[in-house]
Amino acid sequence: MMGTITDRCAIVGVGESERSRNSGTTPLHMALDAARAALTDAGLEAKDIDGFMSYNENDSCTSHELATYLGVRPKYVKDIHGGGASTEMLVADAVGLIEMGEMNTVMIFRSMNGSSGQQVGRGYDSDMLQTALSGGSYIIPYGSASPSQWFGMFATRHMYETGITKEHLGHVCLSFYEHAQKNPRAFLHGKPLTMEKYLETPDISYPFNIHDSCVELDEANAIIVTASDRAADCRQRPVYIMGLESRQCHPHAHYWEDTSQVAADYVADGLYQSAGVKPEDIDVAAIYDCFSWVVLRQLEAYGFAPRGEVGDFAAEGNLKIGGKLPTNTAGGMLSEGYTHGMNNALELVRQLRHDYKGTERQVKDCELGICTGWAGPDIAGALILRN
Amino acid sequence: MMDYQKPIPLKTQDNKPFWDAADQHEMALQKCNSCGHYAHPPGPSCAKCGSQDLTWEQLGSDVKASVYSYIISYRPFLPGFQDDLPLIIAQAELEKAPGVKMMCNILDCKTEDVYVGMPVKMIWQDIAKDRALPQWVPAM
Ligand SMILES: [Zn+2]
Repeated sequence: MMGTITDRCAIVGVGESERSRNSGTTPLHMALDAARAALTDAGLEAKDIDGFMSYNENDSCTSHELATYLGVRPKYVKDIHGGGASTEMLVADAVGLIEMGEMNTVMIFRSMNGSSGQQVGRGYDSDMLQTALSGGSYIIPYGSASPSQWFGMFATRHMYETGITKEHLGHVCLSFYEHAQKNPRAFLHGKPLTMEKYLETPDISYPFNIHDSCVELDEANAIIVTASDRAADCRQRPVYIMGLESRQCHPHAHYWEDTSQVAADYVADGLYQSAGVKPEDIDVAAIYDCFSWVVLRQLEAYGFAPRGEVGDFAAEGNLKIGGKLPTNTAGGMLSEGYTHGMNNALELVRQLRHDYKGTERQVKDCELGICTGWAGPDIAGALILRN
Repeated sequence: MMDYQKPIPLKTQDNKPFWDAADQHEMALQKCNSCGHYAHPPGPSCAKCGSQDLTWEQLGSDVKASVYSYIISYRPFLPGFQDDLPLIIAQAELEKAPGVKMMCNILDCKTEDVYVGMPVKMIWQDIAKDRALPQWVPAM
Protein backbone atom coordinates (compact mmCIF):
# COMPACT_ATOMS: atom_id res chain seq x y z
CA MET A 1 0.00 0.00 0.00
CA MET A 2 2.98 2.30 0.46
CA GLY A 3 2.77 5.46 -1.54
CA THR A 4 -0.77 4.98 -2.74
CA ILE A 5 -2.19 7.87 -0.79
CA THR A 6 0.93 9.82 0.07
CA ASP A 7 0.58 13.50 -0.78
CA ARG A 8 -2.55 12.97 -2.87
CA CYS A 9 -4.65 15.11 -0.52
CA ALA A 10 -4.04 18.00 1.82
CA ILE A 11 -5.62 19.82 4.73
CA VAL A 12 -6.18 23.36 3.50
CA GLY A 13 -8.22 24.96 6.24
CA VAL A 14 -8.87 24.70 9.96
CA GLY A 15 -11.14 26.65 12.25
CA GLU A 16 -12.75 26.63 15.67
CA SER A 17 -15.53 28.26 17.63
CA GLU A 18 -15.15 29.98 20.99
CA ARG A 19 -14.40 27.55 23.80
CA SER A 20 -16.05 27.79 27.18
CA ARG A 21 -17.52 25.90 30.10
CA ASN A 22 -21.00 27.01 29.13
CA SER A 23 -21.51 28.09 25.56
CA GLY A 24 -25.12 29.11 26.08
CA THR A 25 -25.70 28.00 22.51
CA THR A 26 -26.25 24.86 20.47
CA PRO A 27 -23.69 22.61 18.79
CA LEU A 28 -25.12 23.81 15.45
CA HIS A 29 -24.24 27.44 16.20
CA MET A 30 -20.72 26.45 17.27
CA ALA A 31 -20.28 24.17 14.24
CA LEU A 32 -21.24 27.06 11.96
CA ASP A 33 -18.67 29.30 13.65
CA ALA A 34 -15.95 26.66 13.22
CA ALA A 35 -16.97 25.90 9.63
CA ARG A 36 -16.95 29.58 8.60
CA ALA A 37 -13.55 30.04 10.28
CA ALA A 38 -12.15 27.05 8.37
CA LEU A 39 -13.57 28.35 5.07
CA THR A 40 -12.01 31.79 5.67
CA ASP A 41 -8.73 30.10 6.60
CA ALA A 42 -8.75 28.12 3.35
CA GLY A 43 -10.00 30.99 1.22
CA LEU A 44 -12.95 28.88 0.11
CA GLU A 45 -16.70 29.39 0.03
CA ALA A 46 -19.28 26.97 1.40
CA LYS A 47 -20.37 26.05 -2.12
CA ASP A 48 -16.86 24.68 -2.73
CA ILE A 49 -17.49 21.94 -0.15
CA ASP A 50 -19.23 18.94 -1.65
CA GLY A 51 -18.95 16.61 1.35
CA PHE A 52 -19.61 17.21 5.04
CA MET A 53 -18.71 14.68 7.71
CA SER A 54 -18.97 14.63 11.46
CA TYR A 55 -18.78 12.34 14.45
CA ASN A 56 -20.77 12.53 17.62
CA GLU A 57 -22.14 10.67 20.61
CA ASN A 58 -25.70 11.85 20.10
CA ASP A 59 -24.53 15.21 21.40
CA SER A 60 -24.21 17.28 18.26
CA CYS A 61 -25.81 18.63 15.10
CA THR A 62 -25.73 16.73 11.83
CA SER A 63 -23.68 17.38 8.72
CA HIS A 64 -26.97 17.95 6.92
CA GLU A 65 -27.91 20.75 9.32
CA LEU A 66 -24.50 22.37 9.04
CA ALA A 67 -24.63 22.38 5.24
CA THR A 68 -28.21 23.64 5.31
CA TYR A 69 -27.32 26.69 7.40
CA LEU A 70 -24.25 27.39 5.35
CA GLY A 71 -26.78 27.71 2.56
CA VAL A 72 -25.43 24.88 0.43
CA ARG A 73 -26.65 21.52 -0.87
CA PRO A 74 -23.63 19.18 -0.92
CA LYS A 75 -23.49 15.82 -2.71
CA TYR A 76 -22.69 13.90 0.43
CA VAL A 77 -23.19 14.06 4.16
CA LYS A 78 -22.08 11.52 6.73
CA ASP A 79 -22.39 11.40 10.50
CA ILE A 80 -20.84 8.59 12.46
CA HIS A 81 -21.19 7.59 16.06
CA GLY A 82 -17.64 8.00 17.20
CA GLY A 83 -15.09 9.31 19.61
CA GLY A 84 -11.40 9.94 19.92
CA ALA A 85 -10.14 8.26 16.74
CA SER A 86 -12.85 9.56 14.44
CA THR A 87 -11.04 12.68 13.21
CA GLU A 88 -8.38 10.46 11.68
CA MET A 89 -10.88 7.90 10.36
CA LEU A 90 -13.00 10.58 8.69
CA VAL A 91 -9.92 12.16 7.11
CA ALA A 92 -9.20 8.68 5.70
CA ASP A 93 -12.77 8.46 4.37
CA ALA A 94 -12.45 11.91 2.80
CA VAL A 95 -9.19 10.92 1.10
CA GLY A 96 -10.85 7.79 -0.26
CA LEU A 97 -13.85 9.67 -1.64
CA ILE A 98 -11.64 12.36 -3.17
CA GLU A 99 -9.38 9.72 -4.72
CA MET A 100 -12.32 7.90 -6.31
CA GLY A 101 -13.49 11.15 -7.82
CA GLU A 102 -16.68 11.29 -5.82
CA MET A 103 -15.75 14.46 -3.91
CA ASN A 104 -13.55 17.46 -4.49
CA THR A 105 -13.42 19.05 -1.09
CA VAL A 106 -14.63 17.71 2.26
CA MET A 107 -15.29 19.47 5.54
CA ILE A 108 -14.98 17.40 8.73
CA PHE A 109 -16.21 18.83 12.00
CA ARG A 110 -16.84 18.01 15.64
CA SER A 111 -19.11 20.19 17.75
CA MET A 112 -20.13 19.46 21.30
CA ASN A 113 -21.27 21.07 24.50
CA GLY A 114 -18.77 18.84 26.24
CA SER A 115 -18.99 20.76 29.49
CA SER A 116 -22.55 22.06 29.71
CA GLY A 117 -24.19 19.12 27.94
CA GLN A 118 -24.88 15.63 29.21
CA GLN A 119 -21.97 13.21 29.28
CA VAL A 120 -20.79 9.87 30.58
CA GLY A 121 -20.44 9.87 34.35
CA ARG A 122 -22.93 12.68 34.85
CA GLY A 123 -26.65 12.31 34.93
CA TYR A 124 -27.02 8.97 33.15
CA ASP A 125 -29.42 6.38 34.46
CA SER A 126 -27.36 3.45 35.73
CA ASP A 127 -29.66 0.77 34.29
CA MET A 128 -29.42 2.48 30.92
CA LEU A 129 -25.62 2.47 31.24
CA GLN A 130 -25.58 -1.25 32.00
CA THR A 131 -27.49 -1.85 28.80
CA ALA A 132 -25.54 0.61 26.69
CA LEU A 133 -22.08 -0.66 27.58
CA SER A 134 -20.79 -3.99 26.37
CA GLY A 135 -20.63 -6.20 29.48
CA GLY A 136 -22.23 -3.36 31.44
CA SER A 137 -23.69 -5.60 34.14
CA TYR A 138 -20.12 -6.54 35.11
CA ILE A 139 -18.91 -2.98 35.65
CA ILE A 140 -21.74 -0.65 36.59
CA PRO A 141 -22.73 -2.50 39.82
CA TYR A 142 -19.14 -1.93 41.00
CA GLY A 143 -19.32 1.83 40.64
CA SER A 144 -17.17 1.99 37.53
CA ALA A 145 -18.82 4.45 35.18
CA SER A 146 -16.27 7.15 34.41
CA PRO A 147 -13.58 7.10 31.72
CA SER A 148 -11.12 8.11 34.46
CA GLN A 149 -11.91 4.82 36.19
CA TRP A 150 -11.76 2.75 33.01
CA PHE A 151 -8.52 4.21 31.69
CA GLY A 152 -7.06 4.24 35.18
CA MET A 153 -7.36 0.45 35.24
CA PHE A 154 -5.12 0.27 32.17
CA ALA A 155 -2.77 2.88 33.63
CA THR A 156 -2.20 1.18 37.00
CA ARG A 157 -1.33 -2.11 35.31
CA HIS A 158 0.96 -0.46 32.75
CA MET A 159 2.67 1.57 35.46
CA TYR A 160 3.20 -1.62 37.45
CA GLU A 161 4.71 -3.39 34.43
CA THR A 162 6.92 -0.55 33.17
CA GLY A 163 7.84 1.43 36.27
CA ILE A 164 6.07 4.57 35.09
CA THR A 165 5.39 6.74 38.15
CA LYS A 166 2.96 9.41 39.16
CA GLU A 167 5.74 11.97 38.55
CA HIS A 168 6.01 10.73 34.96
CA LEU A 169 2.31 11.40 34.48
CA GLY A 170 2.94 14.82 36.00
CA HIS A 171 5.61 15.58 33.39
CA VAL A 172 3.06 15.05 30.62
CA CYS A 173 0.71 17.51 32.34
CA LEU A 174 3.48 20.03 33.03
CA SER A 175 4.63 19.94 29.40
CA PHE A 176 1.18 20.61 28.01
CA TYR A 177 0.29 23.22 30.65
CA GLU A 178 3.53 25.00 29.73
CA HIS A 179 2.33 25.12 26.11
CA ALA A 180 -1.04 26.47 27.22
CA GLN A 181 0.73 29.40 28.89
CA LYS A 182 2.04 30.41 25.43
CA ASN A 183 -1.44 30.08 23.90
CA PRO A 184 -3.83 32.91 24.85
CA ARG A 185 -6.77 30.86 23.54
CA ALA A 186 -6.01 27.87 25.77
CA PHE A 187 -8.65 27.41 28.45
CA LEU A 188 -5.97 27.02 31.13
CA HIS A 189 -3.88 29.95 29.87
CA GLY A 190 -2.77 31.83 32.98
CA LYS A 191 -2.96 28.66 35.10
CA PRO A 192 0.59 27.27 35.11
CA LEU A 193 1.32 23.98 36.84
CA THR A 194 4.33 22.94 38.92
CA MET A 195 5.30 19.42 39.93
CA GLU A 196 4.77 20.36 43.56
CA LYS A 197 1.24 21.54 42.84
CA TYR A 198 0.57 18.50 40.64
CA LEU A 199 1.67 16.03 43.31
CA GLU A 200 -0.29 17.67 46.10
CA THR A 201 -3.53 17.72 44.07
CA PRO A 202 -5.81 15.00 45.44
CA ASP A 203 -6.71 12.11 43.12
CA ILE A 204 -10.16 11.76 41.59
CA SER A 205 -9.54 8.20 40.46
CA TYR A 206 -6.07 7.05 41.42
CA PRO A 207 -3.75 7.19 39.49
CA PHE A 208 -5.40 10.32 38.07
CA ASN A 209 -6.04 13.72 39.57
CA ILE A 210 -7.80 16.65 37.89
CA HIS A 211 -4.64 17.66 35.98
CA ASP A 212 -4.37 14.20 34.43
CA SER A 213 -7.82 14.64 32.89
CA CYS A 214 -8.82 16.68 29.86
CA VAL A 215 -10.65 19.98 30.28
CA GLU A 216 -14.11 19.13 28.98
CA LEU A 217 -15.45 22.21 27.23
CA ASP A 218 -18.07 23.49 24.83
CA GLU A 219 -16.39 23.87 21.47
CA ALA A 220 -16.47 23.09 17.75
CA ASN A 221 -13.63 22.44 15.32
CA ALA A 222 -13.53 22.02 11.54
CA ILE A 223 -10.98 20.76 9.01
CA ILE A 224 -11.10 21.02 5.22
CA VAL A 225 -9.51 18.29 3.08
CA THR A 226 -9.06 18.53 -0.68
CA ALA A 227 -7.02 17.04 -3.50
CA SER A 228 -3.45 18.30 -3.67
CA ASP A 229 -3.90 19.86 -7.12
CA ARG A 230 -6.79 21.95 -5.80
CA ALA A 231 -4.90 22.77 -2.62
CA ALA A 232 -2.51 24.95 -4.58
CA ASP A 233 -5.36 27.41 -5.22
CA CYS A 234 -6.23 27.78 -1.55
CA ARG A 235 -5.14 30.68 0.61
CA GLN A 236 -3.01 28.70 3.04
CA ARG A 237 0.07 26.61 2.60
CA PRO A 238 -1.31 23.06 2.22
CA VAL A 239 -0.48 20.43 4.80
CA TYR A 240 -0.17 17.16 2.89
CA ILE A 241 -1.47 13.83 4.15
CA MET A 242 1.45 11.42 3.91
CA GLY A 243 0.05 8.39 5.62
CA LEU A 244 -2.92 7.11 7.57
CA GLU A 245 -4.03 3.99 9.37
CA SER A 246 -6.68 2.94 11.82
CA ARG A 247 -7.71 -0.20 13.64
CA GLN A 248 -10.29 -1.65 15.93
CA CYS A 249 -8.74 -4.35 18.04
CA HIS A 250 -9.87 -4.60 21.55
CA PRO A 251 -12.42 -7.10 22.83
CA HIS A 252 -15.10 -5.97 25.26
CA ALA A 253 -13.90 -2.43 25.52
CA HIS A 254 -16.00 -1.34 28.44
CA TYR A 255 -15.31 -4.43 30.40
CA TRP A 256 -11.58 -4.01 29.86
CA GLU A 257 -11.04 -7.72 29.60
CA ASP A 258 -7.45 -7.29 28.52
CA THR A 259 -5.58 -4.24 29.70
CA SER A 260 -2.25 -5.26 28.18
CA GLN A 261 -2.93 -4.24 24.58
CA VAL A 262 -4.27 -1.07 23.00
CA ALA A 263 -5.31 -0.50 19.41
CA ALA A 264 -2.46 1.95 18.86
CA ASP A 265 -0.09 -1.02 19.12
CA TYR A 266 -1.55 -2.31 15.85
CA VAL A 267 -1.76 1.02 14.01
CA ALA A 268 1.85 2.15 14.21
CA ASP A 269 3.45 -0.23 11.67
CA GLY A 270 0.89 0.39 8.96
CA LEU A 271 1.00 4.12 9.58
CA TYR A 272 4.75 4.43 9.11
CA GLN A 273 4.66 2.14 6.08
CA SER A 274 1.87 4.18 4.57
CA ALA A 275 3.85 7.40 4.97
CA GLY A 276 7.27 5.90 4.23
CA VAL A 277 8.82 7.48 7.30
CA LYS A 278 10.08 6.41 10.74
CA PRO A 279 9.28 7.70 14.24
CA GLU A 280 12.63 9.50 14.39
CA ASP A 281 11.67 11.56 11.31
CA ILE A 282 8.71 13.17 13.12
CA ASP A 283 9.25 16.79 14.23
CA VAL A 284 6.00 17.59 16.04
CA ALA A 285 3.13 15.58 17.47
CA ALA A 286 -0.55 15.74 18.34
CA ILE A 287 -1.17 12.82 20.68
CA TYR A 288 -4.67 12.11 21.93
CA ASP A 289 -4.72 13.15 25.57
CA CYS A 290 -8.00 12.49 27.31
CA PHE A 291 -5.73 11.46 30.21
CA SER A 292 -2.02 12.03 30.77
CA TRP A 293 -1.24 8.31 30.83
CA VAL A 294 -2.81 7.80 27.42
CA VAL A 295 -0.04 9.96 25.97
CA LEU A 296 2.71 7.79 27.46
CA ARG A 297 1.05 4.58 26.29
CA GLN A 298 0.77 5.94 22.75
CA LEU A 299 4.38 7.22 22.70
CA GLU A 300 5.32 3.62 23.45
CA ALA A 301 2.96 2.22 20.80
CA TYR A 302 4.13 4.63 18.08
CA GLY A 303 7.79 3.96 18.81
CA PHE A 304 8.94 7.30 20.21
CA ALA A 305 10.58 5.69 23.22
CA PRO A 306 11.10 2.05 24.18
CA ARG A 307 8.63 0.43 26.56
CA GLY A 308 9.69 1.30 30.08
CA GLU A 309 11.42 4.50 29.01
CA VAL A 310 8.48 6.67 27.94
CA GLY A 311 8.17 8.15 31.42
CA ASP A 312 11.78 9.30 31.38
CA PHE A 313 11.31 10.54 27.80
CA ALA A 314 8.61 12.89 29.10
CA ALA A 315 10.56 13.79 32.24
CA GLU A 316 13.54 14.85 30.11
CA GLY A 317 11.39 17.58 28.57
CA ASN A 318 11.07 15.93 25.17
CA LEU A 319 7.37 16.77 24.87
CA LYS A 320 8.03 20.48 25.28
CA ILE A 321 8.75 22.95 22.49
CA GLY A 322 12.51 22.57 22.03
CA GLY A 323 12.45 18.89 23.02
CA LYS A 324 12.81 15.85 20.74
CA LEU A 325 9.06 15.54 20.11
CA PRO A 326 7.12 18.74 20.88
CA THR A 327 3.66 17.39 21.61
CA ASN A 328 0.26 19.07 21.91
CA THR A 329 1.89 22.44 21.51
CA ALA A 330 -1.31 24.42 22.06
CA GLY A 331 -1.82 22.75 25.43
CA GLY A 332 -3.66 19.65 24.28
CA MET A 333 -6.92 18.43 25.66
CA LEU A 334 -5.39 18.54 29.14
CA SER A 335 -5.14 22.34 29.04
CA GLU A 336 -6.20 23.94 25.75
CA GLY A 337 -9.64 22.49 25.05
CA TYR A 338 -11.48 19.30 24.25
CA THR A 339 -13.25 18.34 21.07
CA HIS A 340 -12.70 14.61 21.19
CA GLY A 341 -9.27 15.03 19.64
CA MET A 342 -9.85 17.45 16.82
CA ASN A 343 -8.32 20.52 18.47
CA ASN A 344 -4.96 18.76 18.57
CA ALA A 345 -5.19 18.16 14.81
CA LEU A 346 -5.85 21.87 14.21
CA GLU A 347 -2.74 22.80 16.14
CA LEU A 348 -0.61 20.29 14.25
CA VAL A 349 -1.73 21.81 10.94
CA ARG A 350 -0.86 25.30 12.18
CA GLN A 351 2.57 24.17 13.37
CA LEU A 352 3.33 22.53 10.02
CA ARG A 353 2.24 25.71 8.17
CA HIS A 354 4.60 27.66 10.42
CA ASP A 355 1.71 29.94 11.41
CA TYR A 356 3.57 30.95 14.58
CA LYS A 357 6.84 31.80 12.85
CA GLY A 358 8.84 34.35 14.82
CA THR A 359 7.17 33.47 18.12
CA GLU A 360 8.10 31.15 20.97
CA ARG A 361 5.14 28.93 20.05
CA GLN A 362 6.59 27.79 16.74
CA VAL A 363 8.35 24.41 16.64
CA LYS A 364 11.42 25.41 14.65
CA ASP A 365 11.62 24.17 11.06
CA CYS A 366 9.06 21.41 11.62
CA GLU A 367 8.20 19.48 8.49
CA LEU A 368 6.65 16.20 9.59
CA GLY A 369 3.94 15.69 12.16
CA ILE A 370 1.94 12.83 13.64
CA CYS A 371 -1.66 13.05 14.78
CA THR A 372 -3.00 10.17 16.84
CA GLY A 373 -6.54 9.41 17.93
CA TRP A 374 -7.68 7.08 20.67
CA ALA A 375 -11.32 6.13 21.03
CA GLY A 376 -10.61 4.25 24.21
CA PRO A 377 -8.02 1.47 24.15
CA ASP A 378 -10.03 -0.42 21.55
CA ILE A 379 -10.00 1.91 18.53
CA ALA A 380 -7.13 4.02 17.24
CA GLY A 381 -6.45 6.08 14.14
CA ALA A 382 -3.44 8.13 13.13
CA LEU A 383 -2.21 10.46 10.41
CA ILE A 384 1.21 11.60 9.30
CA LEU A 385 1.20 15.10 7.84
CA ARG A 386 3.89 17.22 6.21
CA ASN A 387 4.24 20.83 5.18
CA MET B 1 -30.63 -4.86 52.22
CA MET B 2 -33.95 -3.17 51.47
CA ASP B 3 -32.20 0.17 51.10
CA TYR B 4 -29.59 -0.98 48.59
CA GLN B 5 -29.12 2.10 46.43
CA LYS B 6 -26.49 0.84 43.99
CA PRO B 7 -27.17 -0.57 40.53
CA ILE B 8 -28.24 -4.21 40.54
CA PRO B 9 -26.80 -6.35 37.71
CA LEU B 10 -29.31 -6.66 34.90
CA LYS B 11 -29.84 -10.16 33.60
CA THR B 12 -29.82 -10.52 29.84
CA GLN B 13 -30.17 -13.32 27.33
CA ASP B 14 -26.38 -13.65 27.27
CA ASN B 15 -25.41 -13.30 30.92
CA LYS B 16 -28.34 -14.95 32.75
CA PRO B 17 -26.55 -18.20 33.69
CA PHE B 18 -23.75 -16.19 35.33
CA TRP B 19 -26.09 -14.11 37.47
CA ASP B 20 -28.39 -17.03 38.26
CA ALA B 21 -25.36 -18.88 39.61
CA ALA B 22 -24.19 -15.80 41.52
CA ASP B 23 -27.60 -15.55 43.18
CA GLN B 24 -26.93 -19.11 44.46
CA HIS B 25 -23.45 -18.01 45.66
CA GLU B 26 -21.71 -19.98 42.95
CA MET B 27 -19.66 -18.98 39.97
CA ALA B 28 -20.35 -20.10 36.42
CA LEU B 29 -18.29 -19.12 33.39
CA GLN B 30 -19.09 -19.40 29.74
CA LYS B 31 -16.51 -21.47 27.87
CA CYS B 32 -15.84 -21.91 24.18
CA ASN B 33 -15.65 -25.56 23.10
CA SER B 34 -13.90 -24.64 19.87
CA CYS B 35 -10.90 -22.68 21.12
CA GLY B 36 -11.03 -23.49 24.83
CA HIS B 37 -11.12 -19.91 26.03
CA TYR B 38 -13.45 -18.75 28.73
CA ALA B 39 -15.80 -16.16 27.31
CA HIS B 40 -16.19 -13.44 29.88
CA PRO B 41 -18.21 -11.33 29.76
CA PRO B 42 -20.44 -13.98 28.21
CA GLY B 43 -21.90 -13.36 24.80
CA PRO B 44 -23.87 -14.83 21.92
CA SER B 45 -20.66 -16.36 20.55
CA CYS B 46 -16.98 -16.54 21.42
CA ALA B 47 -15.24 -13.16 21.18
CA LYS B 48 -11.91 -14.92 20.57
CA CYS B 49 -12.90 -17.11 17.61
CA GLY B 50 -16.56 -16.47 16.75
CA SER B 51 -17.67 -20.02 17.56
CA GLN B 52 -21.23 -20.58 18.74
CA ASP B 53 -20.27 -23.83 20.46
CA LEU B 54 -20.42 -22.57 24.04
CA THR B 55 -21.07 -24.22 27.38
CA TRP B 56 -21.30 -23.08 30.98
CA GLU B 57 -18.76 -24.38 33.45
CA GLN B 58 -19.51 -24.38 37.16
CA LEU B 59 -16.56 -23.25 39.24
CA GLY B 60 -18.18 -23.62 42.63
CA SER B 61 -18.11 -21.23 45.54
CA ASP B 62 -14.45 -21.28 46.50
CA VAL B 63 -13.03 -18.80 44.02
CA LYS B 64 -9.60 -17.29 44.37
CA ALA B 65 -7.90 -14.58 42.36
CA SER B 66 -5.19 -11.97 42.45
CA VAL B 67 -5.47 -8.26 41.81
CA TYR B 68 -4.42 -7.62 38.21
CA SER B 69 -5.00 -3.88 38.33
CA TYR B 70 -6.99 -1.36 40.32
CA ILE B 71 -8.01 2.25 40.71
CA ILE B 72 -9.12 4.12 43.79
CA SER B 73 -12.23 6.17 43.24
CA TYR B 74 -12.64 9.28 45.36
CA ARG B 75 -15.85 10.42 43.68
CA PRO B 76 -19.16 8.66 43.26
CA PHE B 77 -19.91 8.49 39.57
CA LEU B 78 -23.09 6.52 40.19
CA PRO B 79 -25.84 6.70 42.81
CA GLY B 80 -25.35 4.71 45.99
CA PHE B 81 -21.57 4.86 46.21
CA GLN B 82 -21.17 8.11 48.15
CA ASP B 83 -20.77 6.36 51.53
CA ASP B 84 -18.16 3.91 50.20
CA LEU B 85 -15.48 6.42 49.22
CA PRO B 86 -12.66 5.96 48.72
CA LEU B 87 -13.67 2.85 46.80
CA ILE B 88 -11.25 0.29 45.39
CA ILE B 89 -12.32 -0.85 41.93
CA ALA B 90 -10.13 -3.67 40.70
CA GLN B 91 -9.69 -6.41 38.18
CA ALA B 92 -9.44 -9.83 39.77
CA GLU B 93 -7.55 -12.39 37.67
CA LEU B 94 -9.03 -15.80 38.42
CA GLU B 95 -6.78 -18.56 39.70
CA LYS B 96 -8.86 -21.35 38.14
CA ALA B 97 -9.38 -19.53 34.84
CA PRO B 98 -6.26 -17.54 34.11
CA GLY B 99 -6.94 -14.87 31.55
CA VAL B 100 -10.38 -14.13 32.95
CA LYS B 101 -10.38 -10.79 34.71
CA MET B 102 -13.42 -9.60 36.57
CA MET B 103 -14.16 -6.03 37.46
CA CYS B 104 -14.90 -5.89 41.16
CA ASN B 105 -14.52 -4.02 44.40
CA ILE B 106 -12.00 -5.07 47.01
CA LEU B 107 -13.85 -4.85 50.31
CA ASP B 108 -12.40 -4.86 53.84
CA CYS B 109 -9.15 -3.44 52.51
CA LYS B 110 -7.56 -0.08 53.20
CA THR B 111 -6.72 1.85 50.04
CA GLU B 112 -3.05 1.99 51.00
CA ASP B 113 -2.93 -1.80 51.34
CA VAL B 114 -4.11 -2.80 47.85
CA TYR B 115 -1.42 -3.81 45.35
CA VAL B 116 -1.08 -5.55 42.01
CA GLY B 117 -0.74 -9.26 42.72
CA MET B 118 -2.60 -9.14 46.03
CA PRO B 119 -4.40 -12.47 46.67
CA VAL B 120 -8.17 -12.09 47.03
CA LYS B 121 -11.12 -14.43 47.42
CA MET B 122 -14.68 -14.15 46.23
CA ILE B 123 -17.57 -13.52 48.60
CA TRP B 124 -21.20 -12.98 47.73
CA GLN B 125 -22.97 -9.86 48.88
CA ASP B 126 -26.71 -10.28 49.21
CA ILE B 127 -28.08 -7.11 47.67
CA ALA B 128 -31.77 -7.89 47.17
CA LYS B 129 -34.21 -10.57 48.23
CA ASP B 130 -33.01 -13.07 45.64
CA ARG B 131 -29.96 -11.33 44.21
CA ALA B 132 -26.29 -11.56 45.12
CA LEU B 133 -23.24 -9.71 43.85
CA PRO B 134 -19.82 -11.37 43.61
CA GLN B 135 -17.29 -9.33 45.57
CA TRP B 136 -13.75 -9.83 46.76
CA VAL B 137 -11.86 -9.53 50.03
CA PRO B 138 -8.15 -9.95 50.78
CA ALA B 139 -7.27 -13.64 51.15
CA MET B 140 -5.35 -14.23 54.35
ZN1 LIG C 1 -13.59 -19.59 20.89
